[in-house]
Amino acid sequence: MTLRARLRPVQFLVWAVLTACALILVEYSYSRQASAGERLTVARITEGLTCQCGCGLTVSNCNHPTCGFAVPLRDDIDKMIAKGMSADQITAFYRRKYGEKILSAPTTEGFNLLAWIMPFAAIIAGGGLIALRLGRWRTAPVQEAEQIVPLFDDDLRRRLESDLKDGL
Amino acid sequence: MADLGKLALAIALILAAYSIFANVYGARRNSPDFLASARHAIWAMCAMVTIAMAALWNGLLTSDFTLDYVASHSSTTLPTIYKITSLWGGQEGSLLFWSWLLTIFTSIAAFQNRRRNPEIAPYALAVMAVVAIFFLAMLNFVTRPFSPISPVPVEGADLNPLLQNYWMAIHPPSLYTGYVSSTAPFAFGAAALITGKLDDAWIRATRRWAIFSWFFLTLGNLFGARWAYEVLGWGGYWAWDPVENAAFMPWLVMTAYLHSVMIQERKDMLKVWNLALIGLAFALTIFGTFLTRSGVISSVHSFTQSGLGPYFLSFLIVVVIAYTALLIFRSGVLRSPAEIESYLSREAAFLFNNLVLVGIAFAVFWGTIFPVLSEAVRGVKITVGPPFFNKVNGPLALGLIFLMGVGPLIAWRRSTPANLARNFAIPLILGIATGAIVFLEGVRQWYALSGFSLAAFVAGTIIVEFARGIGARRHLAGETAARATANLIAKNNRRYGGYIIHVGVIVAFAGIIGSAFFKIDVKKSVRAGESFAVGPYSIHYLKLEESADAHIESAIAQVEVTRGDEEVALMTPGRVFYKRPQQPATKVAIRSTPLSDLYVVLAGFDEDTNTATFEVFLTPLVFWLWAGGLLMAIGTVIVMWPNVRERAAIAAALGRTAEDQIATEPAPGGQ
Repeated sequence: MTLRARLRPVQFLVWAVLTACALILVEYSYSRQASAGERLTVARITEGLTCQCGCGLTVSNCNHPTCGFAVPLRDDIDKMIAKGMSADQITAFYRRKYGEKILSAPTTEGFNLLAWIMPFAAIIAGGGLIALRLGRWRTAPVQEAEQIVPLFDDDLRRRLESDLKDGL
Repeated sequence: MADLGKLALAIALILAAYSIFANVYGARRNSPDFLASARHAIWAMCAMVTIAMAALWNGLLTSDFTLDYVASHSSTTLPTIYKITSLWGGQEGSLLFWSWLLTIFTSIAAFQNRRRNPEIAPYALAVMAVVAIFFLAMLNFVTRPFSPISPVPVEGADLNPLLQNYWMAIHPPSLYTGYVSSTAPFAFGAAALITGKLDDAWIRATRRWAIFSWFFLTLGNLFGARWAYEVLGWGGYWAWDPVENAAFMPWLVMTAYLHSVMIQERKDMLKVWNLALIGLAFALTIFGTFLTRSGVISSVHSFTQSGLGPYFLSFLIVVVIAYTALLIFRSGVLRSPAEIESYLSREAAFLFNNLVLVGIAFAVFWGTIFPVLSEAVRGVKITVGPPFFNKVNGPLALGLIFLMGVGPLIAWRRSTPANLARNFAIPLILGIATGAIVFLEGVRQWYALSGFSLAAFVAGTIIVEFARGIGARRHLAGETAARATANLIAKNNRRYGGYIIHVGVIVAFAGIIGSAFFKIDVKKSVRAGESFAVGPYSIHYLKLEESADAHIESAIAQVEVTRGDEEVALMTPGRVFYKRPQQPATKVAIRSTPLSDLYVVLAGFDEDTNTATFEVFLTPLVFWLWAGGLLMAIGTVIVMWPNVRERAAIAAALGRTAEDQIATEPAPGGQ
């Protein structure tokens, strides 16, 4: 007897989804551990800093081979890593030197927090609206009893039969 | 020729204004003569803008430096192909090109609707002409492509070196085609609101326009990414630059529209939402143009600050207010009697798909304008770059991919748990198994694991869908597997073309995950004859060769790539110096395979010490990003392919109206 046959469909689905979530959680915790022990590289830090040469890219990605800003900065960061400075210390150093504009993402404090919150707030609000609307739709009386539209196979079967009847 | 171009643009502006009057007057008075006259005016307007295009191309090809535009964006030594493409390499030329596309599309819409949609088409054409008037007014009064320069220079300043690349020959035209063609569905939506004819006639009239626009937006974004990959030399293809974002937002909204419109066609629901989406998609194209040309936000793509910003912003505000007012005015008659009965229905899945797509578009918009907001509120200039967009959009993209798998296999109206289990068992197993295999292969990043698992889940849903369809055809018609597959796609091209697009999306998504999470970057200075390792490859620097011609000086390094004892490639990264604008540029060498791309940049060289510095990226799976794009393109062509049965259904639906119209309206061009 197959696994699917032994489990009722709902149970099967619930278990499948729970297994997937558990797998993702395990993977997530592993990845957190991995990133905590990850070697500090120039690229990792310069991804978080914006080049000030006008290219609009991060220091890591600046496409000017002889950029007067990105090239010396990368060298300096290399030396800071060799001295044992942490990523946070290096980033804080450049923030003090150039101001917030050098960070390639908004900080998570004060007004900047809005940058991070708003997209998710908007989606949650939109989802809430849909849920409310769906709730209203679901509780509204159905005008006439209709047969539930058959699922894929029957739908496809009808279309195929129609194709064949039309000689297509 | 320049005077002819100027004159042609002035006449085109007058013709656009006349066509608005004739269309509106003709529709209100039910006058076939005026409507025919309006069509002729539109076609003449297109001819005039074509003459202006020819005049500017003539100036560029003959190096007529009496024209400011030619002197600023071309030179005598510029290769001919780039003299042609420099037409859209600058502010005035690109606006002229935009206007040209717009007048072509307006002409096509006028031709298509000469006998169809008599109630809304004249108003739609009038709306398109209003948009044309804005662009033509810019060209006539604000940013003139035929302005003279004094004193006349002996030589031109040349085209920006970054634009001297073959992708620039097709990236801007594709993107502009996508942008501009969105005007047609927007205009028909607006016309439906103006006239109150709010059935789905406007959707039927513009379904192909919307897909066409989406197709070119997709290509435009992909070509732009490929251009960045080959030209900018940083090993990536997408930097969340404001102008990239500006091209991405309409694509997201148009994708949402193409999905939600299916609910209106099938269930007569979401009328307001669909009208809002198409209005938003159009507004975002204007917003993108505003971003590129206003100088409000710094970007690698921006044209020089031109003072066009206020005009575009004003136009954008007028469009948004007018369209919103129309939507509110008609909201009473846009309510649908149909209902969504269950969360477990395709309608609900499509709604959530729309929510995520528009949510991502909002996140991109928000991140793009946040620096301006921060400066206005706090007086502090900040940057919102890739780390922000990746963190915010990453989880949303996973949600979107999940819904992409759910939507097509869930039933309309209501699914039962048994149906769900039957449809999703195989895809779920496939997704979990893929995650487990990738985990066992040593991948530990949760996002990459989830992404690959979800991609496999979606692939599973599509495989199930195809397998059932093919199985049913084989059973009912006794066809071979190959024939059943071909017939399945041909007879239901919208549905199965859509699935092929979905396959393209997940293939591209896998490419994005691979290239984003597993890239190796090595920078090394070596003398000629020395080697260094990058992943499994050994990079052996052989020599540097320098050359020069009238246009450029170049230094090309020869690099031998080996893997073990096997020589796999001879690569030639280089540095190019453009003489006229006195600018250096990078010539990247790429060896692409389905497993990974080896991307070699010559970052610098010292002839005295015979040393060269290389930056080498080994990027897994990036090949599949482009392959996915190709699949999306193929799928879209299949979706757009004329379908005999669908045409018959539309003809039947429109039959009565069309017959009446043919009976009352003269032949095209007739009086």
